[in-house]
This record gives sequence, structure tokens and C-alpha cells, in this order.
Amino acid sequence: MIIPITLNTPSSSSSTHSNSTPKLPSGLAKISNDEVVLIELQGFLEVEVNTPEERNGKFVGKLKIDDTGKPSLLIGHHLLEGKIAPLAKPLAIFHRTGGSSHRITGSGPSSSAEKDTSDDTPRKRRRTTRDGNGMVKKKIIFSKRPMPISSLPGKK
Amino acid sequence: MPEYDLCFSSASTIETGSYKLVELTPDLAKLIEDGINNDLAINLTIKGNPQEDAVLCTKDKTYSMRSVNLSNTVVVATAVPDIDACNNDFSNDAVVIRDQVKEIIELAPAVPKLHKLMSLIRERVYDEGQEDDDDDPSIVRFTLDTARREIQASEVELERGLKDRRILVLNNELRPIAVSYLIHLLELILAVLVAASEQHASASVESITSQLEEDHEVPRVVSTQVMGWFGDIVDGKWKMDVDSVVKEIGLGILRNHRHDPIEKGLLMTKWKSLVGDTFESSVSLPLLAGNYIEVETLGSTNTTLKYFPASSLPIDPAGRFAELFAMRSKWKGEEISPFLADIAVNNKERDKLLLKYCRAVTDSHGIRYTARAQYNG
Repeated sequence: MIIPITLNTPSSSSSTHSNSTPKLPSGLAKISNDEVVLIELQGFLEVEVNTPEERNGKFVGKLKIDDTGKPSLLIGHHLLEGKIAPLAKPLAIFHRTGGSSHRITGSGPSSSAEKDTSDDTPRKRRRTTRDGNGMVKKKIIFSKRPMPISSLPGKK
Repeated sequence: MPEYDLCFSSASTIETGSYKLVELTPDLAKLIEDGINNDLAINLTIKGNPQEDAVLCTKDKTYSMRSVNLSNTVVVATAVPDIDACNNDFSNDAVVIRDQVKEIIELAPAVPKLHKLMSLIRERVYDEGQEDDDDDPSIVRFTLDTARREIQASEVELERGLKDRRILVLNNELRPIAVSYLIHLLELILAVLVAASEQHASASVESITSQLEEDHEVPRVVSTQVMGWFGDIVDGKWKMDVDSVVKEIGLGILRNHRHDPIEKGLLMTKWKSLVGDTFESSVSLPLLAGNYIEVETLGSTNTTLKYFPASSLPIDPAGRFAELFAMRSKWKGEEISPFLADIAVNNKERDKLLLKYCRAVTDSHGIRYTARAQYNG
């Protein structure tokens, strides 16, 4: 029962390599990590849809970082203002690769069944590998209540 | 002012739950940072059976993992993955939500979980002349590879654990060596060393193993591993760790006195005769610290000793103190310390344990520790 994790595969840091995780736009890349940005929200992004698949690829909102480095997030008529905050402890981000679906039904020999990190719900087992997206030291946090705004400065 | 479109990824339903955030300890963070700076891959492994708590292992350390729920949600956002970039109408500066995470995994340094190992291979003790049962298909073999998979310990810790527990690797199978056979082997090695006039600080591995094989039918694979446990082998030369050999032989004598104590003088005489003239000077009782206790015998002034190994005591401090005080109600500081060495990381930790679980009593004999009343109800 082993899940190997490879962090920082040397090729991923070379610019010529086309990785499945391309680089973020520079404004976000400079926050902490050039591949991943963490955005903390008070609440969950829920979308009313008939089937869960419907939300795939859908627009959520506009994320802005102003000149002073203050982030804001505009979702519909709601404006969230936040800040960039350092994390108490750096975080490693492990990403499941291999097994594309997490609802695998008993395929593969049981010896390849793997234990997930700490929750052992059956649906989360049987993964081949995980890779790391490196380390993150800062996050964008939106801790205030959203402000309603009437005129939308942007589109949509 | 930079502005980015935040979208769900085109595979967001599949990707749900695919990200885990792991809080790094300072040493792990440093390890990863060094790897990133030097452009090296860092390999970590998560180990554990479904019924066990998973651990995270680096090459030489083990960390326990604990999931902590967050009241907030952390959105993991990345740039648009390459596969989506062409077939979707994401704008150039789009950022996609890959996952929404509601928990974080905390890591804490942990002792490697090696105790499971012995119970898995206890049946397969290797004793003299037991190398011939290789063809028996009915035997369940526990291999080194299985151990790497099943035992929640890092590579380095597993290797050290095998050495400390005197476990041989024969045909890739793990087999603990029988203690009596180990003592016998060590005595043979000492005898061969003396007979061949080899220097114990730099003895030829080839010469010792071949003599053991020819004269005593000890397979080379066994003798080489045993020599590795009790010293360092570099370039075919063995530098014997005199103290650990002498200690093991002393333990061999002491082991027979679990129930009937042995008189101290007698033990020393036996011990010296077993190690031989060359190593006689290395024989000293402190080598056996943590493996014996002194027993007071009525009407006798001689000190007698009884086999009482710290390794057989419970790992948790409360249980260990309970057993120690069941054995003897009062302990001197220097007497009890060896029995705490393997559960306390350093002297400071040991003193903390003493403060927590013992009451110090000063009488005519100096400071002694007695049990603090524990209400475990």
C-alpha cells in the first residue's frame, strides 16, 4: 500500500517542457507558486445545475489584483475584497494523477489498491500516483462579506 | 490592473477530490525547497493499509498524517491545462478552478512503525543449518520488498530496524536470527579472528567468511550480514565494533537468567572467558545497561543480577513506568535512566517523564524515585 509522490520533477521546471500544469499568468504566479494559486473563501462555490457536469468550464467570476497587490473577486453582483496572506506553515499540494476517475469499481489487483492520505472512504482509493505542484507559502484570502454592487464594471 | 477570468475547469467534476493540501514541517519544507533550488526530484511515499493511519515517508524520516477540517474552502486554481486550451473558449488570462478543498493534512514527525515487523516474521527464525528448506512451497515468505511496502517506515529507518533487530535478508526474505545462534556465531568470529591473527580494527572479510564456511559451515551470506551488524565493512575490510560484540555476548549469558538471578562476579567471569583474552578488557557491566536489574538477596552481600530488558517493556510511558515500579518500588536516577533511553529522545525529555510519572524521595541513600499515584480509572 504505497502511494509514491514526486515533487518537482526536474523537467517540469524547464521552460521548454509542455507540462499538464502550465504556468499561471505572471500577476498570479508571483504570489507564491507559478503553477497553483490558493484562494480561500468563506463558503463553497455552489452552482445550481441539473447535472454536475454542467458546470464544467463555466465562468465563475473576475479575479483582480490591483496595483497595491489587493485582490478582489467579482462574482455576479457580489464583490469580494481580500488580501494576500502568508500561510502559517508552507503547504505542499499533492495532485492525483493516473486513475482519471475516483469512482473506480474494483479494477486492478487488490495489491495495487492504495490508501488515501487519511480518509479511507473506498471511492478515494486505487490511485496510481500523486505528483506535487511544489510548495505554496501564500494564499489569497477573501474573509469579508461580499458587497453587492449595482453597476457591473466588466462584462457578463 | 491585471484581471483574470476565474472558471471551473472543463473536468471539474472528475477532478473533485484530486488535490490534497499538506502542511509541511520546517525540515520537510527545507527539503523541498532545496530540491526546487537544485532542480532535483523529491520522492515521498504515503504508506499504510486501509486499517492503518497513513504515514508520509521521506528517504530517512517518517511523519504521521492527520486530516483537519477547515471551516473555509480553499480553491485550488491553476492556469488552463494544455488539453483544454485548444478545445474550449477560455480566454487567454483565464484561471481555472481545479478543486475546492475542505481539509488540510497535518504532518508530525513519528517513530517508524517497525514493531509490526517481528510479529510477521517470528515464525521464520533462522537457526543453524536451516538454509535447506528453500524449496518448500508451503512456507509463507516475508520478503524485503513486502516489508518496504507494508512497514510504515522510511527506507533508512527500515534498514536500521533490520540491523537493530538482527534480521537477516536471505534470498530476499526477512529472517530473524536465533539469539543462541547469533551468540555462537560471534564466538566463532572472535575465535577465527584470534586464530588467524587478524586485527579486529581491519580484518579481511574474505578470510573470515571463508574460514567460517569451511570449518563451521556458516553460509557466507549469513556471516557477512552478521559482521555488518557488528561493525563497518569498507573495501573488504571489517572494522569490528568491539563494544557491541562484547555486549551481545554478555546479553547471551544474561538472557538465561530471566527468572533465577546470576551473581555479578560469576557473570563477569563467564563473560570474560567467552570473549577471550583479547577483548577481556572491554567487558564491563554498563554495556548491559537497560537489560538487567540488581536483585537484593536476603542474607547475602553479593550483588545478583536478573535479565530485565527495556526492549520488552511497553512503548507508552505510562505503561512502562507501571511495569518498572511493579518490578521495584524505588529506583535511583542512574538505575532507571537506561530503561527510559528508548522512549525519550534526549535527557531533557527523560527528565520530563521522570517529573511527570515519578515522585522523588530523598532519604539516607540519596534521591530515589517512586511511583506517583496514577488515577487511570
